[in-house]
Amino acid sequence: MSVIKTQGVEKVYNPNKIPVHALNGVDLEIKAGEFTAIVGPSGSGKTTLLNIIGGLDHPTQGQIEVGGVDITRLSDNKLIDFRKNKIGFVFQAYNLIPVLTARENVEFVMLLQNRSKAEREARTEELMKAVGLEGKMDKRPSELSGGQQQRVAVARALAPKPSFILADEPTANLDSTSTTQLLDIMARLNREEHITFVFSTHDQRVIDRARRVITLVDGKIESDEIRPEA
Amino acid sequence: MIPLMAWRNIWRSRTRTWVVIGAIAMGVWAALFMSGFATGMMNSYIDNAIEEVVSHIQIHNPDFQRDKDVKFRIADPEMLEETLAADPAVRAISVRSLSNGMIASSQTTRGVQINGVVPEMERDIRQLDQMVVAGEYFGESRGNQILLGRRLAEKLKVDVRKKVVLTFQDLDGNITSAAFRVVGLYKSQNKPFDESQVFVKRDDLNRLLGAVSTGGDEPIVHEIAVLLQDIDQVSPIAEQWRKEFPKLQVETYREISPDLQLYEGQMKNVSLIYLTVIMLALLFGIINTMLMAVLERYRELGMLMAIGMNKGKVFAMIVLETLMLCLVAAPFGLLLGWGTISYLGNRGLDLSAYSNSIEQYGMSNIVYLGVDPIVYWQIPIGVALTALIAAIYPALKAIRLRPVEAIRKV
Repeated sequence: MSVIKTQGVEKVYNPNKIPVHALNGVDLEIKAGEFTAIVGPSGSGKTTLLNIIGGLDHPTQGQIEVGGVDITRLSDNKLIDFRKNKIGFVFQAYNLIPVLTARENVEFVMLLQNRSKAEREARTEELMKAVGLEGKMDKRPSELSGGQQQRVAVARALAPKPSFILADEPTANLDSTSTTQLLDIMARLNREEHITFVFSTHDQRVIDRARRVITLVDGKIESDEIRPEA
Repeated sequence: MIPLMAWRNIWRSRTRTWVVIGAIAMGVWAALFMSGFATGMMNSYIDNAIEEVVSHIQIHNPDFQRDKDVKFRIADPEMLEETLAADPAVRAISVRSLSNGMIASSQTTRGVQINGVVPEMERDIRQLDQMVVAGEYFGESRGNQILLGRRLAEKLKVDVRKKVVLTFQDLDGNITSAAFRVVGLYKSQNKPFDESQVFVKRDDLNRLLGAVSTGGDEPIVHEIAVLLQDIDQVSPIAEQWRKEFPKLQVETYREISPDLQLYEGQMKNVSLIYLTVIMLALLFGIINTMLMAVLERYRELGMLMAIGMNKGKVFAMIVLETLMLCLVAAPFGLLLGWGTISYLGNRGLDLSAYSNSIEQYGMSNIVYLGVDPIVYWQIPIGVALTALIAAIYPALKAIRLRPVEAIRKV
């Protein structure tokens, strides 16, 4: 079953001045449970594609279906709700809420979803345990290392039980140990809980662990490699 | 969690938060102080006017108020005096005969109102004896004694024990003159009053006005000034007396001196203008702070919207942050303002350095600050409204951001 399907997606920045074609007709289908890396040189359109799939940006042309819903037809407010319930984000710069503890950061989206206190607490504990940070629940982001913050970000992305996780260069600011730990966690969640991950990355360590690698060049898919499970 | 986030957000930059809290607290304090000062000035002006000039209620022959002719006297004044004096609401009365005339010294001449008073009554109603700064309050001996304002005496170049000549019209319409010896000089808080009012014994003035020519024993009375026990009773008592004495003109201090009402209104307007200016300054200060807070969290706000926080909640969070700042600051300002007003309400604010100009307006040198208790509610409500208005622009700025651009921002 496909969770993401794009057809003829184009994105042109500055269409009336000096047009920049970031995406030039991207057709893509990502199925549930995939562990996909979108790779390519800088400026190839990786982040733009992720933003458009994540409903953060609108395509100039084309159709994007997420879980069977054409998100290009949704209003801004409906898109916010859609993101809240269907998509988990992991950003390059962690982007945790600095005034909240790790526990509160993970609980936050569930609170926006009006989940009960008991459910929030149980899921937060479960996720913090899954990312190996059960002992750091009450630390603020400033008290955590980069790797720990990114693991909290993964827990937060998983908290609303999304259809898939979009991770934009998740390891770009991490050292080797933290990168390995993070990739282990994400691979385990993908393997054991069938959570769909889509990364944009330059990092060879991430590319090596991906089971599907989509290469973008100049806004087009140049290659789409599906690797056998190890 | 949004209130919790808002609360923690305001403490992210402690120094800036304390500076803003200080500014808001000072604004609240300034608003209270200005309101207290304006009220104090207004009370001083009204109290002085009541105590030294108009009393609470005055009763006249209706024609006297129109024409000021001495022939328009109050009929059967002794009966009226007895009735009023027996009223439990009355604290003091003074029965006066009045005439406009000229006062002449060897040096110069000036126009004055001659007040024929019963010294004991006048002492009770306006503490005239306590205003005497040279010589004495009316003595027992010798007739034709006069009490002058010190400023008038300076202009006439006379002093205690000197003689002046009063010239005025008597009841028959003839011009009459008499020499009076200055027994004392008084000084009130009201400069124009001191320069225009002279006091003689009522019997002396009545004799010169020609009471004898009326052929009766009835004393000449043009004015009865009344001081009530309670200023709040002025209007109902005046209304009651109007019904009891339909042929007389019963007027409250507000009707006699419409300037009091005008001044009261003006002071309230001035207070409102000060309050508006203070709130405007606060408004822009808060907008500036909250705008900075939003702009430096641009990326974070974008992330919040990316992960599903809707625009309404982002807007509410910014408004809450602004309100919380004011909620922390306002009590400091109120406490400071209450302390200042309590202290200066008891001790008074000494403005004697500006006594010349202050007395020109009939106010005391010492202003006792005071505010209507409702002001302690109005100002925080004003601050809260200001905070709400101030929060709108930064909050709009926050919800207008595009998450995709905000997240990219470094």
